[in-house]
Amino acid sequence: MKHLLLYLLLLLGLTACLDDDDLPAVAETDLTLDFRAEYGGEGLAIQREAYGYPTGDTLKLLLFQYYVSDLELLPAGGAAPVRLAEIDLLRWNSASDSATLTRSYRVPAGEYVGLRFGLGVKPELNAQDPSTFAADYVLNEAEFWGPTTRYVFAKIEANADLEGDGRFDTGLSYHMGSDALYTTVEFARDLRIGPGQTEQLTVVADVLRALSGNGETFAIDNPDQQAVHGGNQAVAQDIWNRLAAQFTLEVR
Amino acid sequence: MGRRIILLGLSVLLLAAGCGDEPGVGMEVPVEGTISGPSTPTPYALEVPAYLPAPIVDPENPVSVEGVELGRHIFYDAEILSTDGTMSCASCHRQELAFTDGLDRSLGVRRLAGSRSAMSLVNLAFNPNGFNWDGSAPKLWEQAIHPVEDMLELDNDWEEVLRKLRADADYPARFRAAFGIDNTAEISRELTIKALAQFERTIISADSKYDRVVYHNTDFFTEQEQLGADSLFFVENLPPGALHPGCGHCHNAPSFGDNKFHNNGLDDVASLDDFIDKGLGGVNGNRFDNGKFRTPTLRNIALTAPYMHDGRFETLEEVLDHYASGGHDVENEDPNITGFTLTEREKEALLAFLHTLTDESLLTDARFAAPH
Repeated sequence: MKHLLLYLLLLLGLTACLDDDDLPAVAETDLTLDFRAEYGGEGLAIQREAYGYPTGDTLKLLLFQYYVSDLELLPAGGAAPVRLAEIDLLRWNSASDSATLTRSYRVPAGEYVGLRFGLGVKPELNAQDPSTFAADYVLNEAEFWGPTTRYVFAKIEANADLEGDGRFDTGLSYHMGSDALYTTVEFARDLRIGPGQTEQLTVVADVLRALSGNGETFAIDNPDQQAVHGGNQAVAQDIWNRLAAQFTLEVR
Repeated sequence: MGRRIILLGLSVLLLAAGCGDEPGVGMEVPVEGTISGPSTPTPYALEVPAYLPAPIVDPENPVSVEGVELGRHIFYDAEILSTDGTMSCASCHRQELAFTDGLDRSLGVRRLAGSRSAMSLVNLAFNPNGFNWDGSAPKLWEQAIHPVEDMLELDNDWEEVLRKLRADADYPARFRAAFGIDNTAEISRELTIKALAQFERTIISADSKYDRVVYHNTDFFTEQEQLGADSLFFVENLPPGALHPGCGHCHNAPSFGDNKFHNNGLDDVASLDDFIDKGLGGVNGNRFDNGKFRTPTLRNIALTAPYMHDGRFETLEEVLDHYASGGHDVENEDPNITGFTLTEREKEALLAFLHTLTDESLLTDARFAAPH
């Protein structure tokens, strides 16, 4: 009994010594992640460029944006994902916007096997009233259908020249979002992130590939397909599907 | 010899000046401009209903009870602010008109019209950036610099404003109470506009019939008001082919604005360079932003005529007719300006709904009125 007590005291003492300071420190490092918007493989130029469309029409983009939820790095070895951001909004709406938006994070240095995010606002947040959040929070940028309804996950807006007369006079407005549309996008890539990170990660989204791909092109000249808001989501279902499927991760 | 006398003289002068700065032991020598009185600002708890978001916090200008009260005094003080003592902020931002002035373009002390209509000052605590029609003021407290100096507005000189404030019998103690300063010389332009901004941040408008119906459940829309809300304002289920996305697209509740800038189809110009008032483009130099203006809140819209940045529409009916006509197909026009059919019944219903956004209590709220 006496020996047992002695043993327990010794164990307690050892446990007390093993505080956080004695664990091997996981070095944190800076990670910059770029989000690039393109049209047909070229950097997106809001308003400045007249883009050709597969139907022979021409359009000028005025807005491209999308929410990402649970942006995460996937560690090698199956450890818990490293969350970079719970929610973010990537938006291009000015002619002076760069095609590439840069975000910075602090992450544990190490080996990773991928990057993933949810395209849209994840259901837990999508169920929230925007007024839950501060007026300058990313979920309070008037990107919701109504005062109590769900968020607009992604928007593509443009003015199109459908007559070939040089006038960009047909508005195109595609607003998409609902819990049913929420889609996980995952890139399986070996990534080494450490002090002095040399690999530059870029998530690329191509608006043209969202509108046209795999032999299908969204008919922007159909008057029934020029405005998608709220309840007529089905009209833009194929835009959403292509948008979610076209993301690429560039590692340089 | 001459140089020695000069040096000796200077030494004596320096010694005398040095002695002058040192009060005798136990003696209180008043320093010119010293302010006495309380100097610890009391944090102000902004009253915001749960259906509005948390206000934006500006760490550069924390709101205090004393700062708000100082701002309110300055806001209404024509003697201090304008060159001839006839106008103050309140001249163009009248409480009974939801802090607008009822004019198409505001008149300054010279009775000359400025270039734009006075914007309502309600709910500025929720604006993250881009104050003014053209977004020219990144912060609320920076917004007040220009109107004081503009010859078409208060036509004053900030040095003159500060001279009056420092010489005033009341203001120095108020500045000390709000900002903890010790001397009148510390009363600055920055503190003055920060006090104004603190007062403006408290002007919350959230007590309209709309709020009572939707958030408090203490009132009901009439059938006509409900039709206006459902048919054209909050369009949740857009049928294929329907073009109008609903006013709520840019004027979404609860703010009824979107803190963004749009070309809403007002002007028929041959090119983007031809806008007379370039709006946002005139500020950032980006021609693709020419003709874009801040989306104003529709709260109290029935009180804030005439409408648009230049007050070109005298009535809300004219505004609705404009949107129904579909703009002018200028290439940077918002794609949601599409034109739509608007029956008389729908128009009347929409107008009835817009009138539910009037906050009657705002108009007489003593907290926002001129101090006695």
